[in-house]
Amino acid sequence: MKNTFIKNTIGQIVSFAASMLLLCLIWQGITILTESEIPGPVATWQVAKEMFAEPFYDYGPNDKGIGLQLTASLWRVFLGFSIGSLIAIPLGILMGSSKFIMRLFDPIVQILRPVSPLAWFPLGLLAFKAAAGATIFIITITSLWPTLINTSFGVAHIPQDHKNVSKAFGFSKFKYLTKILIPYTLPHMITGLRLSIGIAWMVIVAGEMLSGGSGIGFFVWDSWNGLSLEKILVAILIIGSVGLLLDKFFNTLKMAFAWENK
Amino acid sequence: MKNLTQEELDLLQAEEAETKEEIAKLLAPTAIKIKNVTVSFKSKKGLYTALQDISLDIKKGEIISLIGHSGCGKSTLMNTISGMVNPTSGEVIANEQVVKGPGPDRGIVFQNYSLLPWLTVFQNIYEAIDSSFKNISKEEKKAIVEKNLKMVNLWEHQHKLPGHLSGGMKQRVAIARAFAINPKILLLDEPFGALDALTKSAMHIELLKLWNLDNRDKTIVMVTHDIEEAIFLSDRVVVLNNGPASTIKEIVDIPLERPRNKKEIVHHPKYKEIHDKLLSLLIDKFSISDY
Repeated sequence: MKNTFIKNTIGQIVSFAASMLLLCLIWQGITILTESEIPGPVATWQVAKEMFAEPFYDYGPNDKGIGLQLTASLWRVFLGFSIGSLIAIPLGILMGSSKFIMRLFDPIVQILRPVSPLAWFPLGLLAFKAAAGATIFIITITSLWPTLINTSFGVAHIPQDHKNVSKAFGFSKFKYLTKILIPYTLPHMITGLRLSIGIAWMVIVAGEMLSGGSGIGFFVWDSWNGLSLEKILVAILIIGSVGLLLDKFFNTLKMAFAWENK
Repeated sequence: MKNLTQEELDLLQAEEAETKEEIAKLLAPTAIKIKNVTVSFKSKKGLYTALQDISLDIKKGEIISLIGHSGCGKSTLMNTISGMVNPTSGEVIANEQVVKGPGPDRGIVFQNYSLLPWLTVFQNIYEAIDSSFKNISKEEKKAIVEKNLKMVNLWEHQHKLPGHLSGGMKQRVAIARAFAINPKILLLDEPFGALDALTKSAMHIELLKLWNLDNRDKTIVMVTHDIEEAIFLSDRVVVLNNGPASTIKEIVDIPLERPRNKKEIVHHPKYKEIHDKLLSLLIDKFSISDY
């Protein structure tokens, strides 16, 4: 058992390293093709080292370290995503439990869901009179849908067998919620959250480009204005890696709560 | 009276005792009274009547089997007792109360066990007890779980999830759960249908053991399509007509003495007679087209 585990881990590390190497090769190829218009891995690495040497410096509103920008973005995503989930989960449970509420809300969801997050931005600005509020607002709106849809799907598909148990033994509403509805729906819910956080993390970059001030999106835009393509490339890699980590986190969470795998 | 000898007196007394026993049996309170029950469902093709005007009295402590072809409404009939299905007309009285919905006085064992897969064996039973007994302490509830799990020999598996149990073990948990809430009436919906023959036999004996432990006080209604099972377990077998609009075709008494022995009972002359009768009641429909 232990041996196969070690073998698997080593295998994963090796394949990951190979994958990164491939990425660098393609990247280098593009650099050569564009005659160094797009900086290559080595040049980018030089800039990255400088950026990571002092990630938390703060020289006023337009010159902050990459660490500060990243935490600002993460904080906004966390706020918007949390508010979104706090709306989506209870509403999803209600929609899944009652056909009437489902019929009432489903058209609204279907109409609002395909709207680009950026279209909401002016409304957010109007409502909150501030760019920071507007950014959190669009994160909230866009991270609603996957959680809402997955939660309501999960609740609507609780097997009749489980409901019968609740009926036959006279479970209270609270017991039904905590011992049947939530355990059954949790894997669906977490899948929804996982999709939502992915969207939120994509939206934050666009949002911060519009709102300015701070954050990884602002950093990308600011670097473009400062004509530092190396910084943009570093930011892209950071955005990608953080997105991967967030996804892995929710996947691990899902595994931990999936009773099917136990 | 004065002219009777001691011997005659003894005889009289013995006879009296015997009649008393018989009378007691006859006078045993009715546990379940099904009165003119009709059940109809709305379907796409219109109203579908599953059961038509069924009446049946079941005495306290009786074991009754409902038998019939699939789709004949035997599960529906049982569900009117459990309260999972409300009759369209007529009523069911269980434990002297009109059935309006499920209640802790009637324990149900479902066809497919219906254990909650995310709860351990222990928790599955505990939650049922927790819902049924409001006024006892946590320790008392845990003690009831322990007692019932030990009864079905699953105490050492208490921490397992249902997914890790065999079919027979799951069924024992489901039975323990139904017994744990100490219902006066036990309703079993094809409880052993999914089990292999050996496990099934063992489960029959387990069930009767539990019933005996309780002084044969519990009334058991069981849905089955297994004739041997019905004869071995029941006092009476209720044969239903094929649906739609099923009615009771016949009620067959099983006058075999208890305790019954699985191996010996099949050689009993009465057994063969009953078996043949039930078989012909169930398969007469096919006998023409078979030849």
